[in-house]
Amino acid sequence: MALIALLAAPNFIDTLLLKFFSEQTVNYVIWPFIQVGAVVTITAGWVAYATYLERKISAFIQARLGPMRVGPWGLLQPIADGLKLLVKEDFIPENADRWVFFVAPYIAVVAAFVVMAVVPFGPDWAVITDVNIGVLFVLAVSSVGVLALILAGWSSNSKYALLGALRSSAQMVSYEVSMGLAIIGALMFGRTLSLSGIVGAQASDSIWFLLYQPVGFVIFLISGIAENNRAPFDLPEAESELVAGFHTEYSGFRWSLFFMAEYAAMVVVTAVATTLYLGGWYFPFVYRLTEAKGYHNAYVVVSLIVFLAKAGLLLYLYFWLRWTLPRFRYDQLMDLGWKWMLPAALINIVVSAIGVGTLQGLDGWHGMDTIRSVTSGLGLTPTGKVIAIAFGVANLFLTAGILSLINWRSRDFNLKKQRSKIRLVDLPKGKPAVAPVAVSEP
Amino acid sequence: MHQVEIATTQNTLLDSPQMTLNMGPQHPSTHGVLRVILKLDGETVIDLDCDIGYLHRGMEKIAENRMYNMIAPYWDRLDYIAAVSNGLVWVETVEQMMGLDVPKRAHYIRTILTELNRIASHLLWLGTHALDIGAVTILLWAFREREEILKIFERQFGARLTCHAWRIGGMPNDAYDDFESDVRQFIHNFPNRLDEYETVLNENRIWLSRTVGIGVISGEDAIAIGLSGPALRGSGVAWDIRKARPYAAYGDMDFDVPLGENGDTYDRYLVRMEEMRQSRRIIQQAIDNLPGGPVNAKVPKLIKPPVGDYYHSIEGPKGEIGCYLVSDGTQQPWRVRVRPPCFINLQALKRLSIGHLVADVVAIIGTLDIVLGEIDR
Amino acid sequence: MPLVPVPKPTLTQKLKRFFMVDLLKGLGLTLRFNLGALTSSDSVAGKGIYTEQYPKVRPDVAPRFHGAPRLNMDPETHDTLCIACNLCALACPEDCIDVIPMDVEVVVAGKPRRKKVLDEFIFDTSRCMFCALCQEACPTYCLELTQDFELATYSRAGFVWNREMLEQGRETVKYES
Repeated sequence: MALIALLAAPNFIDTLLLKFFSEQTVNYVIWPFIQVGAVVTITAGWVAYATYLERKISAFIQARLGPMRVGPWGLLQPIADGLKLLVKEDFIPENADRWVFFVAPYIAVVAAFVVMAVVPFGPDWAVITDVNIGVLFVLAVSSVGVLALILAGWSSNSKYALLGALRSSAQMVSYEVSMGLAIIGALMFGRTLSLSGIVGAQASDSIWFLLYQPVGFVIFLISGIAENNRAPFDLPEAESELVAGFHTEYSGFRWSLFFMAEYAAMVVVTAVATTLYLGGWYFPFVYRLTEAKGYHNAYVVVSLIVFLAKAGLLLYLYFWLRWTLPRFRYDQLMDLGWKWMLPAALINIVVSAIGVGTLQGLDGWHGMDTIRSVTSGLGLTPTGKVIAIAFGVANLFLTAGILSLINWRSRDFNLKKQRSKIRLVDLPKGKPAVAPVAVSEP
Repeated sequence: MHQVEIATTQNTLLDSPQMTLNMGPQHPSTHGVLRVILKLDGETVIDLDCDIGYLHRGMEKIAENRMYNMIAPYWDRLDYIAAVSNGLVWVETVEQMMGLDVPKRAHYIRTILTELNRIASHLLWLGTHALDIGAVTILLWAFREREEILKIFERQFGARLTCHAWRIGGMPNDAYDDFESDVRQFIHNFPNRLDEYETVLNENRIWLSRTVGIGVISGEDAIAIGLSGPALRGSGVAWDIRKARPYAAYGDMDFDVPLGENGDTYDRYLVRMEEMRQSRRIIQQAIDNLPGGPVNAKVPKLIKPPVGDYYHSIEGPKGEIGCYLVSDGTQQPWRVRVRPPCFINLQALKRLSIGHLVADVVAIIGTLDIVLGEIDR
Repeated sequence: MPLVPVPKPTLTQKLKRFFMVDLLKGLGLTLRFNLGALTSSDSVAGKGIYTEQYPKVRPDVAPRFHGAPRLNMDPETHDTLCIACNLCALACPEDCIDVIPMDVEVVVAGKPRRKKVLDEFIFDTSRCMFCALCQEACPTYCLELTQDFELATYSRAGFVWNREMLEQGRETVKYES
């Protein structure tokens, strides 16, 4: 009963508000505020508990327990961390640029949170605003985060912070190129830049773009992880390097803002990857079970849960990779970004274009029917889907071949055979070490 | 091999000035209080200087004012990870100088526990080396194995890390009741764990690109510097004191010595992993053939070695650890000098690092397996 | 430039390289540990959790453990076993034991004798290295290193233990679970 009451709440609130305000105000002012509040709360809570989950998952991987003392099973740990950081002393280095120093963490956090405005958590009212250039908006706003890094490093007035900031920002910019290019493959099938539209395309076609774009998905994820300065790409902020990177001089609440910005950026990348490749809030049979039977709000809520589950799986991937793989060295990292990710993204675009072109060409040829409609994305018939998936798989092998060709002379590519096996030698035994009876004079 | 050309341009605008960077005594990756002063051109190391002495405690001077049996607890604190080996070299030096006849059972138990200590030291090396390169999980797993070994030490000696393990003439106590079953259980589980570490690291492309070709030293250079232990064997030089001059029960043991080929970090890693397997083999043989009998030799009431000097060395986990003892016939030694393997291995740091990037310096310090307690004494 | 000659990789090796088989092997092992932590209970040979939640759970300390020193009492007469022989102080490498004897008058077989007994026993645990040489030196098994390892105090003076503290031992703080 409570669940149904909860699901009826939006209608109830709607009618309540319409009593006091005009319809325009309610639809364009009040509801957006409520949505923004909800999304910011959910994202902030998600970010805080992502830190908790990271600690627990890393602990289980390492055969230990993780936070256990604060609250049952350590569930209140993020709150304890937040409180601790709030009461820490807030100091600014002596010759630091004060205003820039203040502003940098806030820019980072804002850049990460604003992107959530266009991410479709569910159909209908579960997206704050469905801008029809959603993808472009995401790429543009997340790039603003790089600015925060440079400002932080510069304003700290420390040689090492500046170097760390420059390295971090160079890394982020390099991987943004391949991230943006990898998205284009999915856009060819979605035929719209709007994120809700792309999910709608996957929903109406009952397909996940992952099947058409495996290479694109992998490139997007790897570039996203490098964007976020997360392992295995976290050399600029690793402790065993010189410094803690751009946020060396930050402590207390300001540092926690950078920390939150990093986790929020992780959540953004997983949310966008889910939307573009994993079908967003779409899951087979959900529509049939809820909306078709008239439970509109239940449909939205279940879709929301589906979306969060998918994004959660990708977030688990982040933690899993961090605690298993060693770190890349900085030059190897940049090598990967420019000589592997970028050519792979370009090959992906070319092969996807050829695939879509083939589908359009084959449509109607000898009675073969590949395209169903072009209204909501590129709707394909089952024949068309098979052809598209075949192109996706062929893309994998083609990319493998071309990347090996480009990199065949590079040092890191030839390591596997370069390493030798050690040999076990049974050395002959010498005379045992026993004392001579007479020892020499000193 | 990572070839680097240092740019020699005539354009002074492009010539970036050299930067001097201090990887200070407090640093998460210098395994103790080691200060490394790096001269960098961009990110490439041009010159390197080590500043040591932050952990100097005057061990050798202290030893001049203590009786022979009192010096043994201090010797644990040299290379505190391999305390049992350090204790062994001291005790064996005095025993051999005095001509004591240590019973066979004591030799076998010493061998078992020294090899366990070698495994513990290599596990700590593995954990910290992997931690520096970024694979944090290996550290926690390696420490879980180490915990089992330290439990055995606690039950046998009474202390986990700085065990005052051996006495001159044998052991203070015989093996405790469950010694054999504990050791057998450990060596039963251990190969699976080693396989787990190798699954995560051995073929891992990131690990390979961080360690292959980094810190290369040839066999001749290694001998010229005086390297010993796995650092020497990683370069292909077949020298192991357990084989060349067997001590304790190693004369009866049947084991192989792993040798590397290229002398790079990856080979040293493989050599140490294989050494752990060979140590397990030695322990298996020793515990299967453990003789009975007393564990203590007949030792005179006052320990006064004859006048003269004596040098004895053993194969510690980090290399050849030796003790040069000059006795003047009294109850306190005249001079004790430790041959510290880590100190001599550290001399190779400059040669290994020049031409590599800063991130590699951390890997190279890890591969030399240094413990500052021994370097600074 | 490789130091050993590089043979050309075969097709299987190339495929394994592209599909990141080496990374996936490592990832698979960590995943098994993650799941094992939730399900398995064998932490020594299996993948279970190895943590001991100190201070809720006290560790099992070995009988031979070199912990806090204690002066044992005779169980029948409730008198100290120490005969003030000073052997422990002589055996200590760090000079952290101070044995202060006193003479008392006793009557033995009708004749008055002077006997040396223990007056005060000072043990500086801050200098102690817990090497157990004093425990080995004691002829009456009076001085013993116990299993107590929680020796922290709030002041430097708290490290210097006198006879009373050595005989009675220290109280351990009990934590609520």
